[in-house]
Amino acid sequence: MAAYVARRVLSLVPVWVGISVLAFALSVLAPGDPVRQALQQSGIDAPSPEQVAEMRRELGLDAPPPVRYARWVGDALTGDLGRSIRTGEPVLGALAERFPRTATLALVAVVLGLAIALPLGVVSAVLRNSALDHVARLGALVGASIPSFWLAYLLIIAFAVQLKVLPVAGSTTPQHLVLPALTLAIGAAASLTRLTRSAMLEELSQEYVRTGRAKGLRERAVVVRHALRNALIAIATVTGIRLAALLGGAVIVETIFAWPGIGKFVVDSIGARDYPVIQGFVLFAGTVVLAINLAVDLAYVWLDPRVRLGGRARGN
Amino acid sequence: MTGRARAITAGLAALLVAAACTGAAPAGGPTTTATAEPQAELAAVQELTVAAGRDDYRTDGKRNLTGMFPLNANIYETLVTLSPTYQVEPGLATKWEFRAPNTYRFTLRSGVKFHDGTPLTAKDVKAVMDRVATAGGGTVGVDDKSAVVVDDLTVDITPKRTNLRALQQLVHPSWGIHKAGADVVAKPVGTGPFRFVSYTKGERIVVERNEDYWGAKPTLQKITFRFIPDPNTRVLALQAGEVQVAVEVPRESAKTVAAGDLRLVTSKPGAYEAIYVNIRGSGDYAIGKDKAVREAIAYAIDKKAVVENVWQNNAEISQTMIPPGILGDAASTVKGTARSVDRAKKLLDDAGWKAGADGVRAKDGKRLTLEMIVGYPTPEIHKPLPEFAQAQLKEVGIDLKIVTTPDTASYEKRLASGAQGHLWVEAGSQNDGNPCFLPELLFTSPVPGGDDEQNMYGNAFALGAKFDDAAKKCREATGVADVQKAAADMMKVLIDEEFVVIPLAGTFRLYGASSKVLDLVAHPAGVHQRWDKVRIRK
Amino acid sequence: MATRSELLVESGAQAEEGLRHGGRPGVLRALVREPTAVAGLAIVLGMALVAIAAPVLAPADPAAVDGARRLLPPSLEHPLGTDNLGRDVLSRIMWGARLSLGTAALATTLILTIGVGIGLAVGYYGGLLDDVVMRVVDVILAFPALILALAIVGVLGAGIGSVMIGVVSVAWADYARVMRGLVLAARERQYVEAARAVGARDLRIVLRHVAPNVLAPVIVLASLEMGGIILAVSALSFLGLGAQPPTPEWGAMLNDGRPFIFAAPQLMVYPGVAISLVVIGFNLLGDGLRDVLDPHTRRG
Repeated sequence: MAAYVARRVLSLVPVWVGISVLAFALSVLAPGDPVRQALQQSGIDAPSPEQVAEMRRELGLDAPPPVRYARWVGDALTGDLGRSIRTGEPVLGALAERFPRTATLALVAVVLGLAIALPLGVVSAVLRNSALDHVARLGALVGASIPSFWLAYLLIIAFAVQLKVLPVAGSTTPQHLVLPALTLAIGAAASLTRLTRSAMLEELSQEYVRTGRAKGLRERAVVVRHALRNALIAIATVTGIRLAALLGGAVIVETIFAWPGIGKFVVDSIGARDYPVIQGFVLFAGTVVLAINLAVDLAYVWLDPRVRLGGRARGN
Repeated sequence: MTGRARAITAGLAALLVAAACTGAAPAGGPTTTATAEPQAELAAVQELTVAAGRDDYRTDGKRNLTGMFPLNANIYETLVTLSPTYQVEPGLATKWEFRAPNTYRFTLRSGVKFHDGTPLTAKDVKAVMDRVATAGGGTVGVDDKSAVVVDDLTVDITPKRTNLRALQQLVHPSWGIHKAGADVVAKPVGTGPFRFVSYTKGERIVVERNEDYWGAKPTLQKITFRFIPDPNTRVLALQAGEVQVAVEVPRESAKTVAAGDLRLVTSKPGAYEAIYVNIRGSGDYAIGKDKAVREAIAYAIDKKAVVENVWQNNAEISQTMIPPGILGDAASTVKGTARSVDRAKKLLDDAGWKAGADGVRAKDGKRLTLEMIVGYPTPEIHKPLPEFAQAQLKEVGIDLKIVTTPDTASYEKRLASGAQGHLWVEAGSQNDGNPCFLPELLFTSPVPGGDDEQNMYGNAFALGAKFDDAAKKCREATGVADVQKAAADMMKVLIDEEFVVIPLAGTFRLYGASSKVLDLVAHPAGVHQRWDKVRIRK
Repeated sequence: MATRSELLVESGAQAEEGLRHGGRPGVLRALVREPTAVAGLAIVLGMALVAIAAPVLAPADPAAVDGARRLLPPSLEHPLGTDNLGRDVLSRIMWGARLSLGTAALATTLILTIGVGIGLAVGYYGGLLDDVVMRVVDVILAFPALILALAIVGVLGAGIGSVMIGVVSVAWADYARVMRGLVLAARERQYVEAARAVGARDLRIVLRHVAPNVLAPVIVLASLEMGGIILAVSALSFLGLGAQPPTPEWGAMLNDGRPFIFAAPQLMVYPGVAISLVVIGFNLLGDGLRDVLDPHTRRG
């Protein structure tokens, strides 16, 4: 097991380097001068050439790109991602400050999504072609087809403006979490329900289930202990993918609900060509994705020890 | 579980149908500004929650602007202030005197105390100037020798270079005076009507009444500014009663806000939308050099219709680009253009642009196709002006192509790399008292040896000596009326004589407010907004 | 919204199943017996028809600005009302179908061609090429997709073309990885070994035995991908990066309609309905196809 983990971790190193190079290349290729923008942010609409030159020096943007890359990666390894050009705060601090918000939202949304999807998907598969199955499938279908920002406004109008049971926007109380998490959870639940249903159908048609039934195992035991456990491999993969995507920041939902997470911050930074933030975020998000992939791989091993021998065809 | 999912789906469907069936009456008629506040019984708790825009505070030591700019939480005050008519008025300084060649002597208000109880002295003013000096000198251009303490309540400020507009620049909130030596990031200490309570990045800044304020003590006990970046969410928060004031309400929702239990609070114009024509382009982008084309565009666009259709009547017809208020009486000397399709057509006919089979004009085999670059400061702010201009220009035989740049950076990049575009639509706001600044920034000749970024505007829009002279006069004018006249003369060259600038609309602040909020008077420049007179009705 | 990777996990597993079970004749015949698939097909074909015939069907010029007819509620003349420039909403939605469906179809074709092509190629050749390409794929998959798309739009300028390039340049990687996996899996299968035993060459094996099996899930994915792309493009339009005015595009219309959520809800409601409907159509079609193609979930 330890050797497997070590091998997996080692294989991530070139990917991590690739991400850092791509992140840096983007900032060199992208148009626009962050320095002018930063000075405008300080209330100086027309910075003088000296002011621009001074700030450029201050930010280390006067060095050639390879030097800047080496400096940046070197600093990054010691935990220093530089300072935001736009707001002046240290990038790592800024990301660390906002990440818990994003992580809370993402985790709650995914857990909520799973809480809806697992029972619904299982029941839908077991009671295939029942009325419940049809309703669940229709709900999942609609949930997967609605643009999230459209849904967000509809939820605000319904629950915050009309019914007045939940706040419109903000992040100070647990109630503030409900609508943004629900918006994201509906999308997640829709696809997870579909997946759970189809994975369960597949498992329920397998030989071992028939054998189990024939041996007189209780239906519940067959479904939950055997079929669901096997179906969980696919579900874990998708949950991991969904979680990784949300941890990168749900930009649109964060913006609409004024949720001060990482996604909104990064998109604002892109608009201002705030390179230290963009690069830092890419490295950060890339690292998180790699970590989740690793965790999902380890979950496979736990769920299905045979994987350790050969490795699955997908997921490297 | 299923029950809940079903209920939500059904609820949404019902909502959709209801929303779709409601329809809407067409927008129209001028929006009203409530000025006379009813005398009413005040609420016992005077706490206000404001939906502000995105959190754009800089928080690094020497450039820190928390509470100052862009959102002015009224913690700090400046030496001089900007009135809603763009005049310089006393602030922390009661008197000022210009001492040739380049020094401003300020006499500070006596008896002013910082929020920590210590008195305001000239040393604090010097500390602020010194801090700005280490961050590049700001708009005024100060260095570490600029501020000199004369006595406890007198301070001299001498900009690095001759600057006759320094007074009009010092009104800007980024020149707010804070306590010398105080930690501006962790514990902002100013002299303003409200004192700092807390700041949570991206979420809120909270201030409370300064009980020892030197001026009239505010009625409000506490203001919470919540950062809500999405303008539609701000309106929804206002409608849900979560906030009592929403800043920068989208013009499209203004009518909705003005109806019902809410009201709209507007200011005089403090911002503008205008088209600048590239007159120094090369190759395909050289068409703007033809004055007849520029003049024809000016006559082809119906400003009244822009105000109605694009700004939903939440703007005024503008002929001056920079807000007429700052030009005083001289504003009326800028005539501008009123729509005349016939005149536009005749101008183009006379200049040899003949209509082709598809209605688009051409000259020497070259079609009259113009690119309009949209993206400053954001493309959203101009919607749907580009499409509207396209329809109007089509009527006179001009084919307009719309090019959107997603943000300021890419807009400026396009401008800086050879001004790729014919028409550049921009929105600008007048945030200080210096009317010379914007036209000078945009239209003076490029600095020899300057880089493309620095000269990006000049390389596209500069008119040469004629305008440079007008700009110089504005820079060097002394009396208020002289400055106004000089600035108006600049606008006349740009708008009436050369048609380099086609002003579209004079725009103003739109606040949405609960009907319980009294005495909210909108300043034309949002960064100067005061909250200390606001009261809450029962 | 199901993300692409999620769809791939589902369909990839089923494709592997397919490899085990061999081909399946009479797909089309089975499909028309699947009511959900028929419904999906009807929606998709209906929308496609509207898209193609928009110039004939649309009651008005979608770009005709008329200040006197702003924000009209639905009426006989304007069945879905007019927008803030007095343009007919129904006509804009009809014309919008062209762009929205066209973009999605083109993007899907590109994604599948590039992704499947590269996946099959590296799976077949293996070796250093495989290592290099798969590392690139890993980097792209770990890279925040939105940032990459935004960066591409930043370099190329806003526009439907940039958005498409942004979407395609991220999405191909998923397909490449899954297809490669399928090829590798196929090579291990017994029937391939049998083929090898009778002397068939690898290329022939891939073309003969792997490609047909991969084709089925690819068709399913194409259908599901269409829905995903339409949603992705509308999301990028929300960030102000999509189609250039006055071109009617659903995502852009929805975005433009946001501030009128109360004053003129039709501006936000109908493009949203159009998007949701067509995405539902593609999802139904994809589901139906999958049910037909997957031996385990097939009825009977």
